[in-house]
Amino acid sequence: MRENGDAVVEVLDLIKDYRPGFGLRRKRILHGVSFSVQRGEIYGFVGPNGAGKTTTLKALMGLIQASGGQARILGCDVSENDFREHIGFLPENPYFYGYLTAREILDFYARLSGLDGQRRCRRVPELLEWVGLGEASESRLRTFSKGMLQRVGIAQALVHDPEVVFLDEPMSGLDPIGRKEIRDVILRLKSEGKTVFMNTHILSDVETICDRVAIIVEGRIRYEGRIEDFLHEDDLMSDVVLSYLPPELGEILEAKFGARVRGVGGRIELRVREKQVSQLLRLGLEAGAEVVSVTPHRVSLEKIFLEAVSTSSSHLIRNESARKGERS
Amino acid sequence: MIRMRHVWPIATNTVREAIRNKVLYALLFFAVGVIGVAVVIASLSYVEGQRIIQDIGLASIRLFSLGIAVFVGVGLIHGEVERRTIYTILSKPLSRSEFLVGKYLGLLMTVWLQLACMMIAFVAVSLATGAPLSGGHVAALGLLGMELVVIVALATFFSAFTSPLLASLFTLGIWGAGHLSRDLYALGQQSGNESFAGASTWMYRLLPDLEAFNVSVQAVHGLPIATSELTLPILYAVGYAVALLIAAGWIFQGRDLK
Amino acid sequence: MRNDLKPNQPLSEAQRPDDFRSRKAIRRAWRRRGLAGLAFCCALALVGVVQAQIPPLTRADRGEAFVPDPSIIERITLGFDAVLSDYYWLVAIQAVGGSAAVDANAGGHVGQLIDVVTTLNPWVGHPYRFAAVWLTESEENVRTANRLLERGINHHPEEWRNRFYLGFNLFYYLMEYESAAEQIQAASGLPGAPAYLPRLVARLRSETAEIDVAEAFLIELVQGTDDPVLQEGYRAGLDEIEIERKARFLDEARKIYRDRRGQDIATVESLREGPNPVLVGLPSPEPDSLPVALSRQSRWLLDDEQDEIVSSFYGSRYRLHFDAVSRAKANGWAAARQEGTLHAEERGSL
Repeated sequence: MRENGDAVVEVLDLIKDYRPGFGLRRKRILHGVSFSVQRGEIYGFVGPNGAGKTTTLKALMGLIQASGGQARILGCDVSENDFREHIGFLPENPYFYGYLTAREILDFYARLSGLDGQRRCRRVPELLEWVGLGEASESRLRTFSKGMLQRVGIAQALVHDPEVVFLDEPMSGLDPIGRKEIRDVILRLKSEGKTVFMNTHILSDVETICDRVAIIVEGRIRYEGRIEDFLHEDDLMSDVVLSYLPPELGEILEAKFGARVRGVGGRIELRVREKQVSQLLRLGLEAGAEVVSVTPHRVSLEKIFLEAVSTSSSHLIRNESARKGERS
Repeated sequence: MIRMRHVWPIATNTVREAIRNKVLYALLFFAVGVIGVAVVIASLSYVEGQRIIQDIGLASIRLFSLGIAVFVGVGLIHGEVERRTIYTILSKPLSRSEFLVGKYLGLLMTVWLQLACMMIAFVAVSLATGAPLSGGHVAALGLLGMELVVIVALATFFSAFTSPLLASLFTLGIWGAGHLSRDLYALGQQSGNESFAGASTWMYRLLPDLEAFNVSVQAVHGLPIATSELTLPILYAVGYAVALLIAAGWIFQGRDLK
Repeated sequence: MRNDLKPNQPLSEAQRPDDFRSRKAIRRAWRRRGLAGLAFCCALALVGVVQAQIPPLTRADRGEAFVPDPSIIERITLGFDAVLSDYYWLVAIQAVGGSAAVDANAGGHVGQLIDVVTTLNPWVGHPYRFAAVWLTESEENVRTANRLLERGINHHPEEWRNRFYLGFNLFYYLMEYESAAEQIQAASGLPGAPAYLPRLVARLRSETAEIDVAEAFLIELVQGTDDPVLQEGYRAGLDEIEIERKARFLDEARKIYRDRRGQDIATVESLREGPNPVLVGLPSPEPDSLPVALSRQSRWLLDDEQDEIVSSFYGSRYRLHFDAVSRAKANGWAAARQEGTLHAEERGSL
């Protein structure tokens, strides 16, 4: 674990075993997970589906009990209650009482969070406005769309103005506009000095907003560190798409930049290092080609992610073949 | 530690959920209907019609209160876990025990509210037919309210760790056994078999003695009801419910919410 | 509110306006609906026809009337004792409903029912007296009624009527005059008891004029109940006493006839026949209160077996106690009355 005086979330060697049913053997979901989240940062907890992201978050929220290890939030053990006045939680696909209106449910959560009547009267409409539900505040939640429910979820997590916010897959199932809005909310929280911990499997979100990430695969942390650490300048690539290219030029470019070239119809697509982009464009334009698009491509996180997943699955395959060998 | 500022919002919200639940209105409507139909049934008898009206009225209040308590109670905790509404609630600074107590009190208030509605119907029918009303009726309905304190606690207890179907079977089973426990005890005493007598005594101590809450016959016939017949059951109900809720809290505390 | 978060969904078949569909499709839809309607009507008709084939017999009709053991049902009422008691009470009323008399079997059934009623809720009032009224067809029945009345006395020690009924049963059916006198004496000291009860006690103790005692009981019983069915029963008892008084009058006349003529009467009519008849006319063999329309054309008959004068209206003389022979005969008379023939009349005229 990283030595740091201002760690807001500290997780050390967290273990979780499940017994899938009576008489069945215990199954280990988390194999000693350790990481820490610093004050004021956006922390991305990344992993494929079933890697143990939600299990870790549930253990942090006290919804499940860890079988071993420690987890502390704001210096308190997660089995306690009082530190929760300072945290907010948005579960994955949040569900709320459908018979309440948006205003009623926020008022309910505000009361649970210990806000007095005066502060509730001020905070609830303000927050509804903030998440863009001002007009829908008197509608029953059962009439809400998924995106609206997600915003209710964000609002309830923030109702008591917490220091740390935990988000489980905040962007999943949303349309592009919804995702953009949630992204903006998260960045705004950071600008207000809050700490944000988010579970996600959408790497582009992580790349755009997270300060630090941990990659969890099959219940083990594979990598933890700052985004910049992954993104060495050498690794910054861009995809360039050109059209109306003289056929011979493709080969020349391929040879010169050592890039992978793919032909799509009358277009070709090349992946080159970021610093070579201007040189490539100049050459292409001189030869009479037209530039269709230039997309910066950060290869590193995805690469590391895929690497992490593939090593563990090969590990898995090895294990299985070994077991098969034993049996035969 | 149970803090009312955490319990109260959960309780009031549970009441609000019930008030907005149409099924409960249907049950309530039906109960009031049965109390009304008692007048027709009683007319089959050419004597003591008023007594029969009140017998049926009190019995239907008892039956429907039990039905509502079990019907709503068994899904109380399970529903929150199943719908995952509990995730966000428990992320707030309240303990699971406070949540449990809040749900319990909310359901109890709901059931009492329904009891009050049925009481109004009962009083109206009694007045309309000229059946006598006395302090005994207040005592009978009050003790029924205390029986519900225990029934709702049972439903909450089972709801804390099993599915609604099982919880309703268990609750109804214990309700029935609770009405038989005195006979079981008497049977054990008469049997002459020491180990059976011991076992039946234990069962009698463990099961809720629900017959203690039944003074409707005395009420309808205007028979005297001793003060101890009121105070002791009230204390008994409170003690039994608190014990059940503490046990439910222990179980619920250790549960993983998947 | 933004509503762009809801994707447009294609309209389902039902939502789509009709002009989107071809005529063929519309016809098909109507045909489907018609077939469904036809099937629905067929199903209803089937239910109706089949149900008409099933005789709507209740368990009582089939002779399977089941009355639970009171000591068992008492334990399993789960707090609903009062209402279950009411249920069996209503069953008991139905069991006697409409029938003017209850035969010994049905009486036993009613006895079981009232036993359940009063076990589940011993604080009921009327059912005890109900049992006393209906359980009169055999000594066993009367004893059952008395047991139930004693239970009523235990739970309503202040109620004089239960003791009065018990006294009546002891006197009227069982001829236990001393026990009857004790009950009536106890009743006379209770609130609301009529003032003449002490006199009744005295008469019971003197063991005379039993018919007067019975009459006094019955008059009190008629006045003491609002129940029209019971009142009718008591009035029937009073009618029987009226006929008994007339029969006793004819007995006296028969004695005089024998003294005068030295021989017994051939038929009851002999009393007013011949020269110097004993009687100018015979009293009506039917109760005076009986409306003409209900007259059964009864006659006075001479019962050879018992050597008594009887009215064909009852077929036997009034008895305060159970007598298997006369009871069986009375039942025979009753059956004969229904067939419209009077065998005994023929026998009597022999």
